[in-house]
Amino acid sequence: MRQVGTAMKFSSIKTMPRNVVRDTMKSIERNNLMSAASVLSVIAALIILGIFLILTINVQEVTKDVESKLELKIFLQSDFTDTQKETIEQALEKSDLIENVTFESAEEALEKFTVSLEDYAPLLSGYNSENNPMPASFVVRVTDPEDMDEVQTLAMSFEGEGVEYVRYGQEYVEALVSFNKFTNTLSIVVLVVLSMISIFIIYNTIKLTVFARRREIGIMKYVGATNAYIRAPFILEGTLLGLMGAIVAFLIIRITYYYILGLVGGNLFLPVDASLASPDAVMGQLIFFFLLYGGFIGAVGSVFAIRKFLDV
Amino acid sequence: MIEFKNVTKGYDKNKSDALKNVSLFIDKGEFVFLVGRSGAGKSTFIKLLLREIEATEGSVYINNFNVSKLSKKEIPFLRRKMGIVFQDFRLLENKSVYENVAYAMEIIGKSEKQIQKRVPLALDMVGLSHRMNHYPHELSGGEQQRVVIARAIINNPSILICDEPTGNLDPETSYEIISILEEINRRGTTVVVVTHDREIVDTMKKRVLTLEDGILKVDDATGRYGYEV
Ligand SMILES: Nc1ncnc2c1ncn2[C@@H]1O[C@H](COP(=O)(O)OP(=O)(O)O)[C@@H](O)[C@H]1O
Ligand SMILES: [Mg+2]
Repeated sequence: MRQVGTAMKFSSIKTMPRNVVRDTMKSIERNNLMSAASVLSVIAALIILGIFLILTINVQEVTKDVESKLELKIFLQSDFTDTQKETIEQALEKSDLIENVTFESAEEALEKFTVSLEDYAPLLSGYNSENNPMPASFVVRVTDPEDMDEVQTLAMSFEGEGVEYVRYGQEYVEALVSFNKFTNTLSIVVLVVLSMISIFIIYNTIKLTVFARRREIGIMKYVGATNAYIRAPFILEGTLLGLMGAIVAFLIIRITYYYILGLVGGNLFLPVDASLASPDAVMGQLIFFFLLYGGFIGAVGSVFAIRKFLDV
Repeated sequence: MIEFKNVTKGYDKNKSDALKNVSLFIDKGEFVFLVGRSGAGKSTFIKLLLREIEATEGSVYINNFNVSKLSKKEIPFLRRKMGIVFQDFRLLENKSVYENVAYAMEIIGKSEKQIQKRVPLALDMVGLSHRMNHYPHELSGGEQQRVVIARAIINNPSILICDEPTGNLDPETSYEIISILEEINRRGTTVVVVTHDREIVDTMKKRVLTLEDGILKVDDATGRYGYEV
């Protein structure tokens, strides 16, 4: 019996799609009201999720952009000694928080300043190495902008021993980091809550489907259908409902997003020079996530329903 | 081949067992009636064969396999060895006669070609070729039962089990159904028929097993109804 069983199992998997797809389509049709409710719930969930996802992607992009431009400047006292400079440099280089450190001498600072103020160069021509008003500094890039504070503390421990003061866009970094955290957390909360709602609605749809087809299921069992064969159409049905919702939600979001981008015309009202993520890249991520999510939600909902209502 | 070895089945601790220490042997190719009053344990007997339920004690063998020892995954393959016919037909209303029979082949993964070849043969065997494209509600009870029989034998089971197959049919139709079952048996399939129909049992002169309150009371090879009404 075992041997025969394996051979039959194999052939039943081979020809399964034909019947399963047909029965699934019939079932979605028959349950059209609940099916529509399921798809709508997935659409609603995904539109809300999509808004958060787009927000998160863009906030992350802006944060990354700003982060990459962020530096911390440690200005040295005008009378720092070589020993002091070396001690500070070593301390900075030893720290894990710091990606790289470059030293900028007073001469270099003056030169840079002169270049950046090209039009006024003649005004600055009176300054030379003798009366250079610019301080020397260490320019530090940190690995993680959240660590700016700590690096500042580290640098300030040398205050009066070579270090004059430390500067970075402190308030701005803090605001950005906490906003980024906030959108991430919010997205996850929204994701979990909406997922549960969608799974529950799909669960109920599939429950109805199982109920509507219980006679058929009984007959299938007597004729020797395997459990996998009996379950397949229900899981397929749930997954399809989820995918349909995903596609519709994506189209709605895509149209709306490009429309809004067109309205604001790239003007982001951001206080910094940073750009949004490329809309095409955002949409690429979105459709990928939506399909995955829609299919997953649908499958999970049906698996729960089958476990509870299909005694196989 | 069906064998029960000291099978006891109790559903409820507070009630007496539905089957009590039943032992019996039905050989390959036999035609057997199973009779007994309502509640005697006939359906329990069938459910044990199909492994819908498990024996409380003892073992059930089908074609030398201990049914009680099958894993859940193997049960479908056990059922493919058996055809089953119910009193209440259990046809799918939204499928035609042809589709109802074909369905049993689809489920176990037969190819469209095999289905197209075998379904008409099975319908011919039960005398329903001309009704192939009709739907169950367009058929008489006897015709519906023929469809069920065609579906039950479509995958060439070695055992055909019928739970009151004539229970809803008039005497004449009942005889037609029984003679179809006889023909199936003649081609080598073991047939077990649960019935209340005393006349049919007496006429057929087949082996009769009689259950009374879960006890196998009579095992009569010459075919007499084993209890008085
Ligand atoms: N699922 C069940 N739960 C509890 N008791 C049951 C169940 N099925 C049958 N029984 C009891 O077992 C006995 C035998 O029932 P059954 O096998 O259906 O008899 P028959 O088919 O001969 O009428 C009866 O007393 C019945 O009440
Ligand atoms: Mg019964």
